[in-house]
Amino acid sequence: MTQTDAIRLGAETSAEMKEIEEMAATCYQCGTCTGACPVVAAGGMDYTPRAIMRMIQVGMEHETLSSQTIWTCASCYACAARCPRDIEITDMMTKLRNVALKKGYKARRGKVYNEGFMSIVRRHGRMYELELVVRYNLLTNPLNFLGLLPVGLKMIRKGKLRYLPDHPQGRPEIRHMFNRVEGDAE
Amino acid sequence: MKYAYFPGCSQESTAEEYNRSLLAVADRLEALDLMELPDWNCCGATPAATVNALLPHALAARNLAIAEEMGMELVAPCAACYKNMNKASHSLNDDDDLRERINSTLDDHQVGRAPKVRHPVDVLVNDVGVDNVPVAKPLEGLKVASYYGCLITRPSGGFDDPERPQSMDRLMEALGAEAVDWAYKTKCCGGAIYMAEEDISFTLSADVLAHAKAAGANAVAVGCPFCQLLLDLYQPKLETIRDTTFNLPIMFFSQLMGLAMGLDRADLGLEKLVVSPFKLLAETIDAPEDTTAKKPRSRAPKPKPWGVA
Repeated sequence: MTQTDAIRLGAETSAEMKEIEEMAATCYQCGTCTGACPVVAAGGMDYTPRAIMRMIQVGMEHETLSSQTIWTCASCYACAARCPRDIEITDMMTKLRNVALKKGYKARRGKVYNEGFMSIVRRHGRMYELELVVRYNLLTNPLNFLGLLPVGLKMIRKGKLRYLPDHPQGRPEIRHMFNRVEGDAE
Repeated sequence: MKYAYFPGCSQESTAEEYNRSLLAVADRLEALDLMELPDWNCCGATPAATVNALLPHALAARNLAIAEEMGMELVAPCAACYKNMNKASHSLNDDDDLRERINSTLDDHQVGRAPKVRHPVDVLVNDVGVDNVPVAKPLEGLKVASYYGCLITRPSGGFDDPERPQSMDRLMEALGAEAVDWAYKTKCCGGAIYMAEEDISFTLSADVLAHAKAAGANAVAVGCPFCQLLLDLYQPKLETIRDTTFNLPIMFFSQLMGLAMGLDRADLGLEKLVVSPFKLLAETIDAPEDTTAKKPRSRAPKPKPWGVA
């Protein structure tokens, strides 16, 4: 019996959560992660990282996967760098996003952003910022285009915008890789 | 020494001046030879792992395999590329099953033993050596807050301390600048979430600028294209949000090196910065001899390192 089995109260959690539960199992709730977290300090999390760790330990899968925290995490690794239990908290947040996407949880704007980003890399092999910005704003908030104008014009003036995508020659290999990786993960 | 050089996507667009200035610096340094990695692909930044756990390893593996074919360590100037490929390099070398699985997704390249991945600050400070950078025009009068952000020093176990790194500061001192001590060296700017969670990243970025200013800096040095983008391109907006004036030029460390080394300024891309550094440069390193001599070096008492405006 694992430690997480011993303290879980409610219903059985899903298979995707098992690895994450193992990662969280040794957390002793010191709160160093929360103290280190800049997003908590900026008021951007509904549950602190410490709370998320405890929620995972006690099997609150639904609350964890539907939390704002897993999407507003800035992936800055401040929590993981300080964790006295050496828990890879930042990587856990990424894994939680992964599971939340798979299970169809509402993923704030993070779903549109992350999936849009990767679809560009799949097609072009490299990032194409213009497409990402246009696509992201069309899908989330088309009215925001007007708000983007000042920054957009500044970028054009400073030559910081690439108009056409750049392609490595190995694009077919990259697409195959995407297909295989995605097939593998199913 | 020869290194495989991975420019990364941002260095072709938003941070073109980072690429340009770094290559100009390397061109002048005999001990630093950057050979562009042929046919490189995007590292996947933060979205790759969010969408699929194997994807960041696979994307990195193709680049690592090409560097391995070249027989060189891989240098990545973007902090996100550096972190992603460094992490993948370790995972692929430590986990034979993972390496086999990832290799099976690649057609034309295979990872045997993944090469080491380095950030250029690491290479400059630890391989080239700050004392071997030829300084033609010391950066006197520049009070530089070195901003490492998240991924140059984290996850921990890298080339510098994640809480109080010193390498970029040492580089700035060697260039003749004053290295400002401050508490936000490794605080996050919110770069990874700025598109989806704009408000949060603006709070984080404004905090970084406020602390740099309060510590007495008149310029900020960065080694990450996202940090530069948020602190520079959005600085006017952050000033409006905070109802204050920062007026802090955000320069890549390589641009500052180029200035100190007396390189052709056309190769440094300083005109691309939104917060122009030219007034500051005119008052400091470009000031006529006699006026700099008369100018008292520090009028204000040295600010407390942890002070906030």
